[in-house]
Parts: sequence; structure tokens; C-alpha cells
Amino acid sequence: MGELCDEALANLYPYLDAELDDGEIERIRMHLIDCPPCGDAFGFEQRLKIVVRERLAEEVPESALLRFRQALRGIEGPSV
Amino acid sequence: MADQADFERQALELVPQLFGAARRMTRNVSDAEDLVQETLLKGYRAFGGFEEGTNLRAWLFRILTNTFINKYRRDSRRPDEVDLGDVEDLFLYRRLGGSDGAIAGRSTEDVVLDGLVSGDVKSAVEELPEVFRVPVLLADLEGFSYKEIAEILDVPIGTVMSRLHRGRKALQKRLWDYASERGLTAGPRPDEIEASR
Repeated sequence: MGELCDEALANLYPYLDAELDDGEIERIRMHLIDCPPCGDAFGFEQRLKIVVRERLAEEVPESALLRFRQALRGIEGPSV
Repeated sequence: MADQADFERQALELVPQLFGAARRMTRNVSDAEDLVQETLLKGYRAFGGFEEGTNLRAWLFRILTNTFINKYRRDSRRPDEVDLGDVEDLFLYRRLGGSDGAIAGRSTEDVVLDGLVSGDVKSAVEELPEVFRVPVLLADLEGFSYKEIAEILDVPIGTVMSRLHRGRKALQKRLWDYASERGLTAGPRPDEIEASR
């Protein structure tokens, strides 16, 4: 692992979370092209992030939706 | 001033996102429903003070998170009181052996990413201590920026980054355990190791 690998790894999450400035993003992006092991590792982390988000998807029960609507209407008072 | 008549329409659009986070924070459906309802009612009452044009989603998630912490949280340990174990960077990736672990043309990475079911990921997240689970949910499920999460949790951005870093590594450790239990990883499953003793 070179210095650039260390720098890239230290910025793994800010990079994936789009929290770096353009210069830093470009610097890491170039390194990921030049260094297949880092490119591969970052690619895996990126896919994992997407998989986690997809698999956490949750349906709101119909009964709950109804309940929330009624709760909000209830405090508005009876409609005229 | 924001008009309360707008609140119902705008807030109800955000209910699926609020419920998804509430479900994993509380770890049960009935508390999640109560938490979302309470968030909506508090939001409705406070909506007069909401500055129009600012971030309603982050504002409602702040109410949701504070309500959760004050009323539903069962585990009030601080980060320094929680032992997440020693998990190195790229934990899951390194265990899967990169492309070296290919089986029948599919890499172990593909096998694991495809094979972890929704229930595994949900359980793995729910097993995280709350102080790490909440920021992980805000970032990985809801896609909030570090700055937004810092405002929602009322902590500095550096704290958000450190909790996310530790929380995600701990999540990878749990995902590895689920993948091993399912036999998705190369090598014998834990129960097979047990049986051969």
C-alpha cells in the first residue's frame, strides 16, 4: 500500500458520501483508476452501500397511514 | 409564516421515509407507528415557527430523532461506553478475498451482496447500539449529508463522521456473520466447524 492508497482509504466514506470538494474527489478518482486493488475495494463499498439502502426498504402499513391522516385531521377540528 | 394547511400534504409525503427510520430505531412496528404519529403532531404544532424554504425533511427528522431519544430509547450508552469490537477498515471486502474467491464465475462479493436478504440487513442494523444506529440510518437509509446529520443530532460534524465510521464497520462485521450463517462465504459455515469438533 502506497501513500496514495492510505490517503484514499482514509477518505473512503467521505468519498462515497459525496462530502469531499471537487479537487479531492478528482485526486481519489484518478488513484482508483491507477490502482486496481483500491478501485476494486471502493467499488465493493459503493455496491454495499446501495444494497444496504435497498434491503432496508419498509412498507408503511395501510392502517398506519390512515391513522396518521386521522390524527392530523383530528387536531384541525371538524371540517365545515 | 408557514401555513399549517400545507403541513398535512408535505408531511404525509415524507411518512414513508420517517416510518422506515422509525421502524429500525424502535425495532418494532407498534412503537414505530407511535413515534411517527407523535412526530407528525409535534411538527404540526410547531409548523408556525418553521421557516419556509428551509429543509422540512431535516426539520421533521430532528423532531423524530429527539422524540425517539427522549421517549423510546432503551440504550443510553455513549460511544465510549460501547464496545464494538476491533473491526478493521474494509472488513467485509477483505474477508471475501476480492476476486480471488471466485466460485463458478461469480465472485464471493457478488454471492454475498446478492445473497444477504432484507431480514439480514435489517437485523444487522438493529443490532447496532443506538448511538451508532441512528447516524447510520440517517446517512445510509435516508441519505442525509454530514451537515444535516450534525444538525439533526446536535453534535459536531467530526462526531458524525466518527460515529458513522465506527457504526458502518460494526455493521459490516454483523453482515459477515449473517453471510457466514447462510453459507454465502467461502469455507465452512460456523455450524460445520462446530459439528466437526
